[in-house]
Amino acid sequence: MNEPKVAILVFTAALTLPAYGGLAAQIASKIEAGQYSVSDGAVPSSSVLRLTPNIQYTFPHATITARGSAFLSDQQLQIADGIVSGTFTSPTVYGVRAEMIGNASRAMDDRSLGTDQVDVQTRVHVLFRTHGGMWLGGGVARPWRVAVVSSAEVTDVGAWGKLGDVTTKFGMATLTTTFTNFSFSKTASVHDTGSASLSCAMTPASVASVMSLGSEARPVFSESPVAGACARQSRFSDLEAMLRWEVGALELSAAMGHRFGDSYDVTPDSRRWTSANATLWLNERVAIIGGGGRQPALPLRGLPARTFWMTGLQLAYAPISKTAVPVALPHTVLVKSFEMKPGASGMQKIVIRVGGVETVDVMGDFSDWSPLTLIRRGRDLWELALPLSAGVHQINVRVDGGQWVPPPGMPLMRDGFNGEVGLLVVPK
Amino acid sequence: MSRSRVVGLAALLLVVSLPLRAQEPEQQDRMAKLDIKTRGAVELLVDSAVAEGLPTQPLRSIALLGITRKADGRQIVAAVRRELILLRTARTALGRVDETELTAAAAVLEAGAKPTQLATFKNKQRGRSDLQAFTVWADLITRGVPGEDASSAITRLWDEGADDATFVSLWNNVQSDILRGLNPGTALQNRIREAPLRPPTTKGPQTPEGQENARSE
Repeated sequence: MNEPKVAILVFTAALTLPAYGGLAAQIASKIEAGQYSVSDGAVPSSSVLRLTPNIQYTFPHATITARGSAFLSDQQLQIADGIVSGTFTSPTVYGVRAEMIGNASRAMDDRSLGTDQVDVQTRVHVLFRTHGGMWLGGGVARPWRVAVVSSAEVTDVGAWGKLGDVTTKFGMATLTTTFTNFSFSKTASVHDTGSASLSCAMTPASVASVMSLGSEARPVFSESPVAGACARQSRFSDLEAMLRWEVGALELSAAMGHRFGDSYDVTPDSRRWTSANATLWLNERVAIIGGGGRQPALPLRGLPARTFWMTGLQLAYAPISKTAVPVALPHTVLVKSFEMKPGASGMQKIVIRVGGVETVDVMGDFSDWSPLTLIRRGRDLWELALPLSAGVHQINVRVDGGQWVPPPGMPLMRDGFNGEVGLLVVPK
Repeated sequence: MSRSRVVGLAALLLVVSLPLRAQEPEQQDRMAKLDIKTRGAVELLVDSAVAEGLPTQPLRSIALLGITRKADGRQIVAAVRRELILLRTARTALGRVDETELTAAAAVLEAGAKPTQLATFKNKQRGRSDLQAFTVWADLITRGVPGEDASSAITRLWDEGADDATFVSLWNNVQSDILRGLNPGTALQNRIREAPLRPPTTKGPQTPEGQENARSE
């Protein structure tokens, strides 16, 4: 069986898996179908149909994602790329959270030449509740089948901030800025075209002259090139800003970046880039997507800079969770239990168990629908005493300033405003 | 009564009433977030409830929830009006009952139950609370159990003398079956067969134990 057929079989199996029981709530999968056009200068632009399955298993402190894309062109289906990712996050302690990310991916250039890469990265996040945060990370990326690159050290630092709320008139905007540094040794050949070959072609004398000129471009390579090749240290850094705006059913995202590095490592067509995408949700499972822009070259993958545009339809097997924030924030599924116990002096004590969060709030008819913050009594234990009168009370809960939802393990009803509330019975 | 005692009593009354009075302006402050037209419409509906002897707190609560949910004025007025109608309907079905019961019955009607289905609860045994039954009923319909099925299951359990624990147990079982992927209607039908029942204690004089057997012999 050839590779595309195996991939189709695997994705079909994964897409039907959510039909079985409790996993359904943890799986998101989607297929994008539409026109995708790419041009990189050397290769003429092509327009083909692109299918991008995306499957995500979400657990309380881990997420496993598999996604890929395939091009349907000339009656043939060809795999373009695929990636399997695993992310493990630690509980948040005083706003600090650790994250470990592992990726295994394959990328195809011009649907003929493939490169593989495995990378591992760790990050330390500092969260300012759910409104913003910053992180510092580092890791190693090991590419295969890229002749000119060895393993690379990757360090990154980023910050993000969130403005507004999805329920407000102007929606929610998230701005993320990252600075990523890549450092790796590059094997250049005198037979290469472009700037890479220049370092090999240069004699030690010419190198000395370059250095004496104080040029910003100072190639560092082995003193005795062997068989027309030389190894030298390459380094470049990407500064990128991304804005994502969600208002109602519309999601807009835009990115722009600049690459720092000498001319040996950064080609002119990868110095600056911009791109934009729009998604209009027709319902929670069907969306129209469109976008375009410029992508910089990916030297670690041997991929050139390219211009792209796309338009199409996105179909989701299960409702897609929106992930504008560049760090996995605690979900409401983390709320393990909700209890009400009779307290002293006719008070009722609300007891919630939820781990790895910074704040837990409740609101209800008893608070005139204003948030009341619970007090942390243990690692995952939160309590609040309330003067609840006998009767049925409506209540909602949220963690870390997230979405208000009915507490788990409690009857619920619709609230008249397209939401749901929990029903708390205080016996007479 | 000496003057100092009167002053002391007045001071005590003032201290006790402070939290109550403090809460009311707070609620009023939040209501001030509504535009004048919406606020006027809500106040009219609240006045209607007062005139009819219906509870006003559920109406104010709906309006405040609407403010929290950032609903527009028209939606808020519609929701408050709907709640008033539900309270009115609940009282017609149940007769003169206390505010908590009326509010819980309105939640059942809001979920989709019919007023006639509430009639079973009109004449209930003194001291028996139907709040838990109403809560479970509203939840079952919200989770997709057909209204007729939910109604007949709850009224059957109620008629057979089920206590709060029985209703809670039924709800627990049904909602966990639904979460496992079972059809809501089927989940209820399966679980209602298992529900432990007690003999009714409210319907007229009871037959002495063994009498029926004796008669049939």
